[in-house]
Amino acid sequence: MTRQHAVDAALAHFDDPEGFFEDLKARVAVPTESQNPARLSDCYAYLEEEMRPAFEAMGYACRVYDNPFEGCGPVLLASRHEGDDLPTVLGYGHGDTVLGQEGQWKDNLDPWTLMKLGDKVYGRGTADNKAQHSTHLAALKAVLDTRRSLGFNHKFIIETGEENGSRGLKDLVAAHKEDFSADCYFASDGPRFDVAKPNLTLGNRGAFNFDLVVDLRDGGHHSGNWGGLLANPGIILAAALATVIDVKGRILVPALLPPPIGNTVRELLSDVTREVSKGGPEIDDDWGEPGLTRAEKVYAWNTFEILAMKTGNPDNPVNAVPPRAVANCQLRFVVGTDWENIVANLQAHLDAQGFGMVKVQPSTGGNAAFFHAARTDPDHPWAKWVRAAVERTTGEKCRMVPNSGGSICNDVFQDVLDIPFVWLPLSYAGCSQHAPNEHILWPLTREGMALVTGIYWDLGDPETGYQT
Amino acid sequence: MSRDAVIESLEHYFDDGGFWTDLARRVAIRSCSQDEPFRPELYRYLKEEMTPYLADLGFVSEIFENPKPGGQPILVARRQEGDDLPTLMTYGHGDVVRGYDEQWRDGIGPWEMKKVGARWYGRGTADNKGQHTINLAAMKACMDARGGKLGYNVVALIETGEETGSPGLREFCREKKDLFKADVFIASDGPRLNADRPTVYFGSRGVFNFTMTLDLREGGHHSGNWGGLLANPGIVLAHAISTIVDAKGRILLDELKPAPISNSVREAISKLKVGGMEGDPEIDPDWGEPGLTPEEKVFAWNTFEILAFRTGNPENPVNAVPPRAFAKCHMRFVAGFDPAVVLPALRKHLDRLGFEKVELTPDREFMAATRLEPDTPWAKWAIKSLTRTAGEEPAVLPNLGGSLPNDCFAHILGLPTIWVPHSYPACSQHAPNEHILEPVSRSALRLMGGLFWDLGETDSLPLP
Repeated sequence: MTRQHAVDAALAHFDDPEGFFEDLKARVAVPTESQNPARLSDCYAYLEEEMRPAFEAMGYACRVYDNPFEGCGPVLLASRHEGDDLPTVLGYGHGDTVLGQEGQWKDNLDPWTLMKLGDKVYGRGTADNKAQHSTHLAALKAVLDTRRSLGFNHKFIIETGEENGSRGLKDLVAAHKEDFSADCYFASDGPRFDVAKPNLTLGNRGAFNFDLVVDLRDGGHHSGNWGGLLANPGIILAAALATVIDVKGRILVPALLPPPIGNTVRELLSDVTREVSKGGPEIDDDWGEPGLTRAEKVYAWNTFEILAMKTGNPDNPVNAVPPRAVANCQLRFVVGTDWENIVANLQAHLDAQGFGMVKVQPSTGGNAAFFHAARTDPDHPWAKWVRAAVERTTGEKCRMVPNSGGSICNDVFQDVLDIPFVWLPLSYAGCSQHAPNEHILWPLTREGMALVTGIYWDLGDPETGYQT
Repeated sequence: MSRDAVIESLEHYFDDGGFWTDLARRVAIRSCSQDEPFRPELYRYLKEEMTPYLADLGFVSEIFENPKPGGQPILVARRQEGDDLPTLMTYGHGDVVRGYDEQWRDGIGPWEMKKVGARWYGRGTADNKGQHTINLAAMKACMDARGGKLGYNVVALIETGEETGSPGLREFCREKKDLFKADVFIASDGPRLNADRPTVYFGSRGVFNFTMTLDLREGGHHSGNWGGLLANPGIVLAHAISTIVDAKGRILLDELKPAPISNSVREAISKLKVGGMEGDPEIDPDWGEPGLTPEEKVFAWNTFEILAFRTGNPENPVNAVPPRAFAKCHMRFVAGFDPAVVLPALRKHLDRLGFEKVELTPDREFMAATRLEPDTPWAKWAIKSLTRTAGEEPAVLPNLGGSLPNDCFAHILGLPTIWVPHSYPACSQHAPNEHILEPVSRSALRLMGGLFWDLGETDSLPLP
């Protein structure tokens, strides 16, 4: 039996109308909205009724862990141990989705009913992440059916809280470190950079949300009687922000910047482009750090955003000096940034500029993300191994992107498990992830099925296997 | 009868409850102009309260419909003593803001005047029923003292839309200009500099509201996937604002500043002291135009404010580059400054600095600034009369910091405008618990008695 037999078997399952489509349909039908507390039981159901049987049928031992945080989704760990001398690979997927946004989909599509229209297959969670981990499950089954063994040890995490910032996952893994330990990590989530070609992603930018608050007094005061006598917090905040970031989006506080972009990263990004896509926003090339390419700005540099800002009563303004202004800001940052001291460093900058009345504090809103930046060294043997496995299928060079622009829970693997991690994203930028009309491209998913099957095959093949 | 006797009779009017009775009757009429269901009360105030009272004083009243659709009625009353006599124009507004009935202190409410200590609570006590009640009573006392004569003619305008921005008042004054031929304008509204200090002001700062908008694209975009590639409108608008006004509130464009402060204005202001009273916010001495005193900043200079600013969704922020930002801004400006220059000057400035995409739109018509220089004859006349009654010089404001429709009288009708305010800064005007202070009201009756008496001494007037 050969690699090709396994790939053919996987594709046969994919093409069988009763095969992959039906598997995915059943999984999309479970409304696993992790942002809706009422759906917690659906998250359990997804793990117990969809994931556990599928893994157990392949000889995996399964355990479902309750989330250490009350009301947050459970985590399943499926493990298949074949030999103490074999490498252990860790996989990951998330069974939860964002809110269904029923009623907002085109042609009144139901987010929980999988629907194929042309090359697109619609449903909440298709792209993010049910089709992606379902592809892994189907690929593993094809390898097992062909070879009767994997040829490596495998663990697979399915969490159900990713869309809530993976709350509790890190603590859970840390508390059960032995259960989750592995030599390397391989999984799929998120979009490819180029719809036509696969790429590997080696990490993510971190994200930290914080508020700049100017709170000068209790209430508003008549702008006629007091205008000119009372400092205006909106004016102060605007001026303070103008010292943090320039009018073209360039960060002016050195402590908020990463170290210079290394040659390896620069080289990896040299053939990564960000084109204006149909329906996508127009890119402002004069925005951001001067001298960087589009790809370098998003994947190798930090960005400072005002996500929201308010002073006074914008809906119904009154002629008063407002008492308070707040800017809800965010720093997206790459590995190497002094993320632990963002608040202190920014406060020091503001103090030095005479803006001591502007207070920096971590955000407390629903979007109050704090993701660590993470990146596997592109020269790490595991990164090179996965790249070679992809290239054996495609016959051409596979791009590696040092990290995604957005954020995911890589710090669990980087900081807790201390293993190299590589992602093979199977979606594309136009997939409407997090919006109505989420979908996958059926041919792209089919291509992903072949790629993932090839990688798992090669992992267990003594000729090509990964040596730790 | 003499000037002193007029003042004494007004003290009796206050002490014997006459003022209480007149004002309580007026407060009980729920003439709120901000709520449509109260509209009949506006007419009632003019027809059933003002018209008979003024008729007793020898006025002939006529109630006019507002020239603007939806605008409120305006009463014009005339008392003609002689065609060769000088004419006084006076003004008041019979409407009030909403009652906010449930929000008042225990045991008091907006529509039934109540006395607690030296405070008389009720909607309109300060703004403006108490003030025109004082003025009309003072006029009556002068008449009684001069055997039914004032020594001058009076035309009174009582509007009922002031709390909705005096819609139609300008058009009305323009159309009926002939009704308002007069030599001087004297009226009362607003607060004294502080409760203890009789005050006179001769105009008001103007105000101009406008919006700065930066609309870059349709919707928000994921800040991870797009951050660094898409201009952030909040950042750009913050920069645009910081080129107009600096971090200390100083206006940076010469075109937005007023002419240098005149000596007479500077001198009048030098005798004033703002703030420092109970309930006042703490003044920021470093804010505003450097080199000016706090009083000069508020009475003699222009200010630029951000009243409100929004980008993204502040109540529930999401991790996205927001598509749009806007700032609700306004300028208060002193007489002599032409607000029509504001938007063209800002447009030129923003374009020059590369902020072409920031749009500027006026929010409403501007209210013009007015002022009578404190060293002009009518101003000096009023100061002298008030000083004589009070025994000390009043606080003289070249203009209020706030804004009034005084341009109707000063610009459209071309009158010298004299305002003697009878309220005080902590009167809770426009809020629950509106009230007046007994000592202030009593002193106001005296001051107005003296002033309206002196206006009858025709020979001493600064007439042309």
